[in-house]
Amino acid sequence: MTFLASFDIRYSELEDLSALEEWFSDPNSCDDYPFGFDERQDALKNWIGFSKFKASLTGTLEGKPCAIATLFLMPYKKVVHHCGFYLVVDPAHRRKGIGLSMLRNILHVAKTRFSLEGVHVEIFEPSPLLPLLEKSNFKIFARQENYIKIEGQPRPRLLLEHFFYE
Amino acid sequence: MNDPALEIRFAQESDQKYLIEWLLQPGVLQWFPLEGLREVEDAARLWMSYMKQGAVLTAVWEGIPCGIANLYLQPYKKLSHQSLFAIIVDEKLRGKGIGTKLLQDLILLAKERFKLELVHLEVYEGNPAIRLYERLGFQRYGIQKKFVKDGGQYLNKILMQRTI
Repeated sequence: MTFLASFDIRYSELEDLSALEEWFSDPNSCDDYPFGFDERQDALKNWIGFSKFKASLTGTLEGKPCAIATLFLMPYKKVVHHCGFYLVVDPAHRRKGIGLSMLRNILHVAKTRFSLEGVHVEIFEPSPLLPLLEKSNFKIFARQENYIKIEGQPRPRLLLEHFFYE
Repeated sequence: MNDPALEIRFAQESDQKYLIEWLLQPGVLQWFPLEGLREVEDAARLWMSYMKQGAVLTAVWEGIPCGIANLYLQPYKKLSHQSLFAIIVDEKLRGKGIGTKLLQDLILLAKERFKLELVHLEVYEGNPAIRLYERLGFQRYGIQKKFVKDGGQYLNKILMQRTI
């Protein structure tokens, strides 16, 4: 795990948009997200926009972004005690434990900075994120068949939640 | 039921004030994630914005708007075969079959105009509207615990869907 020596996490900045754009430059890179390849520009801008609230973390390796995890804070008072999130790791740096570290850190931000009581996430089966989420004590609360179509093929979505206090 | 007093038409901009009025009727906001006029106006604007795509219907009872339903058409192609929707009926005119007719017409619109295959909704536990949804063939596919926190009390959110 020599990468750990140069691995660091900081709050995201709007300029990290270029890293997101790079990681989503492959047509298949959007398959695990609701937006399509042709629709990614607006979606990625909206994503990194949450950095203005300090609700986004960027993992770096030797100072270069390698992962981003972002809380999508809720807009209404009655639901501000929880939110959803997105996570992406640079395809060149997957399977190194970066995703798990980012997940743990964004959960920490959710709990301590925003005083959230829980977070939830939407994934599409089969998802590489599922083992990571289960390891972090996320529980599935909904499974919806035919929610998304990737190249015409229907895939179910799973909704998972993680409570900080139970 | 085909009550001659009831008509369903496409929504008009002027219907937005009714939507705000119905949301602010006593007790109604307990079934929505909204609180206060600012949030209600914000949500009503979003709701009515789908009018441009012809995805909002208004129920009219004896010439006066009495209910609104909309499809939150998905912005992404991969999701464009399905849609979340919302519905509200003027509390003063409930029990007349308005919700049933409005929802039936919305489902028809979803199928015929937008070629949707699936419609789904979010409703809070204890909402009497759940009976309407079940009667029209919606089935639960999940429940999100503690979704709403209102005055220290939590409400679970039930997720329902129907293939069309």
